[in-house]
Amino acid sequence: MTKETNERFSAKEIRQYTFRAGLSRTQGGLMELISEVYTSILGGLTLVTMAGALIVALRHSLGVGDESALLASAVAPGFHSVTLLQASATVLLTLAAGLLTLEMTMGPVAMSVPQTAWWLGLPVRRRGFIQPGFLKSMAWPSIAAVIVVLPLSLGMAADPTPGNLALAVLCGLGLAWLLYGIAAWCQVTGSGAWLKKAMGAITLLAPLTLVATALYNNVAGTSAITGRQTAWLEYLPTSWPLLVADGARWPLLLLALALGLLALVYLNLERITTAALKKSAAAGAYAASSLLSMDATELSRSFSTGPATGNSRVRLKLIFTKGTANTRSIKTLASTHATMALRSPATLLRVLVLAAIPASLASVEFLGNAILIAVAIYLCAHFSATALGATARFSAGNPAVDTLMPLPAKTVRQVHYIVPGAAMTLWAIICFGLLLALGVGSPALLILALLAGPGLGAATLRAGFRPAPDWNMPALAGPAGPVPTGAIRAFLIGPDLSLIVLLPVLICLISGGVPSIAFPIQLTLTFLAFQWGTHIRKPKSAKDGGLFGVPQTAANK
Amino acid sequence: MSKATNHSGANQHHRPIPARKDVVRAEKLQAGYAGKAVCGVVSFSLHSSQSLALVGPNGAGKSTVVKTVVGQLEAVSGTTLINGNEVDDRTLDFRREVAVVFDDDAFFPALTVEEHLAIVCAGHGVDEVEDVISAELEFFGLSALAKSRPYNLSSGQRRRMLLAAAFVRPRSLLVLDEPEQRLDTSMRHKLAARLRAEVDSGLALLVVTHDPEFLITVATKALFIADTIHAMTPGRAAEAIASENPHAD
Repeated sequence: MTKETNERFSAKEIRQYTFRAGLSRTQGGLMELISEVYTSILGGLTLVTMAGALIVALRHSLGVGDESALLASAVAPGFHSVTLLQASATVLLTLAAGLLTLEMTMGPVAMSVPQTAWWLGLPVRRRGFIQPGFLKSMAWPSIAAVIVVLPLSLGMAADPTPGNLALAVLCGLGLAWLLYGIAAWCQVTGSGAWLKKAMGAITLLAPLTLVATALYNNVAGTSAITGRQTAWLEYLPTSWPLLVADGARWPLLLLALALGLLALVYLNLERITTAALKKSAAAGAYAASSLLSMDATELSRSFSTGPATGNSRVRLKLIFTKGTANTRSIKTLASTHATMALRSPATLLRVLVLAAIPASLASVEFLGNAILIAVAIYLCAHFSATALGATARFSAGNPAVDTLMPLPAKTVRQVHYIVPGAAMTLWAIICFGLLLALGVGSPALLILALLAGPGLGAATLRAGFRPAPDWNMPALAGPAGPVPTGAIRAFLIGPDLSLIVLLPVLICLISGGVPSIAFPIQLTLTFLAFQWGTHIRKPKSAKDGGLFGVPQTAANK
Repeated sequence: MSKATNHSGANQHHRPIPARKDVVRAEKLQAGYAGKAVCGVVSFSLHSSQSLALVGPNGAGKSTVVKTVVGQLEAVSGTTLINGNEVDDRTLDFRREVAVVFDDDAFFPALTVEEHLAIVCAGHGVDEVEDVISAELEFFGLSALAKSRPYNLSSGQRRRMLLAAAFVRPRSLLVLDEPEQRLDTSMRHKLAARLRAEVDSGLALLVVTHDPEFLITVATKALFIADTIHAMTPGRAAEAIASENPHAD
């Protein structure tokens, strides 16, 4: 890389040098390439299969194909559901708002942290460094648009001809690029904080409107909201791809708007400040590390607000004077955990919204079948449980924190259980209470769920204190290359307990009745979950004993 | 671009700036985050052949001030001019003149130490790249590690690499945030002597430090950063560091 003159290299040359020098040192060659192709094909097939399953489910729901017992409605007869149009429009609005929030957090014009550190300080035209990030980052919203619009158009269009579907996808791409353009313009001009907040609020609140509408419709009698009254939702720009799928052409205007905005952003790329690019690079690195740590909550946080910052006004009493030293320590610890939870109102709100998601699903016309609702309950319960595990995860990462109080380790772990145990019990009441209000389940099922709630709190601890993956265990072939079995095992710790605890409730929901034997079974499972979740694993070295895995006694002999 | 190679170990790439011309001028500058100031109002000027040290206790706002001066943070109020222009790190002039070393531990994992330095040389149009890199690697004790990747180095060696990256390129202003951190005593002395020599031959240096000895060797003037700002001599600042009190005798 020597030039005899003092002529500067261009950004493109520096970029190419960086990649070539790095590439010359990567290992693998042909086998790596084959593995990459295999991964891409398998990934594509998985997405197509998922999309196909969604289309089949939607068309089943619309009455096309055989009616299966498994697809029978779980909602009470005479229940006034939300129309499929309102549901799909709400889903599209939520996804669009979520996408915009995500793009504004991640950049959207993105560079890696080393690139921002080593390239942006060089006195060469910055366009050559920024432009590749601008073009590459556009791939993600494009893929998201195809994944969302294609199945929805296939499922909902009256006449899904290949031409209409292709144009609907094109319109979806236009929508995704418009959102990308808006986020990129905000990055260029350093504005849009209010927009990000508004989109975050829409993402959280829009799904709740489905439950609210359904609840209102079932008490409003003749003044219930009809399909005609919500027909305007189809004309929200986020729903325009569905109009195109039904034969309209004017919504393709979105494409022209998007291309115009993207051209404007392209011309102004060099206006993005180094600080903004560094911020988005840091957000990307945080999201990548959250993904690698397989932690759903950290991932969702990295995609939305980033690590918590700022001050909180929440102040709970931390010093107690009455009682024994033990009692006072327990009170202080529990109060500390409650303070930490209350200082993350966004997390609590997310947990609350997750409690309403199964009811949102049940409230939609044709989608209120028991299997779908049961799957939604399991996923929402698990994500809520992990969302409440921030304190546990912090303690797992910083074990010294749990030794600050003069308490046995077992007691400290049990104190950790108090907040998630109480919160998940409340979660179960809200979730099943809303479902009951919509005519799904029965009061007996609500009581059963109430008994399951404390068990879900134990799942929080199991996931929070999951051991680090054992990278020494043999690897398994996975779609993205070899995966250590230790990592898979670590990933399953937490979701397993959520499922076990919820089994009686979910079986009763699907079967449509609650036999009396379900209550003692549920109580037993919840108790076992508590024992399991608050169990403290012995470190491996303590089990093995001695140096090099030789048992201590044998070594002594 | 000018380049003068000093075979005593220091490649003095700093640009000759006419004497007494302000390289940095901060007017009633308040640094902070989200519009909230973290320290008092700072006003100072820094000429070529001058070295200004910012000292003060942890959390006083020294790094925040420096980041604001070089445009990495938005000022709460006030202005900063570098070489007579408003600070904007998007301009070519700024990037050509100002070398900044903060504690960024970010590297290309697949590139070696010398390849990182080569990127900097390429961007700045440095000629005789191999010689320049080789001299700086030798100065910073990294010659044997030239072909190592950064993540195989110790944190102190990575720090040396970051500093080397600031020295392989031309600069009229060098901004360092606690350069003594993670360096061994011998390297600290060597670096301090090198910086002093460069300042004497025209470089403008803005440095944050907690090391009294380093400060006395390098700085020509100092500011104690706290709720109120105190200008002082390097000797007085070294005493103040020892007690973290600007009024210390």
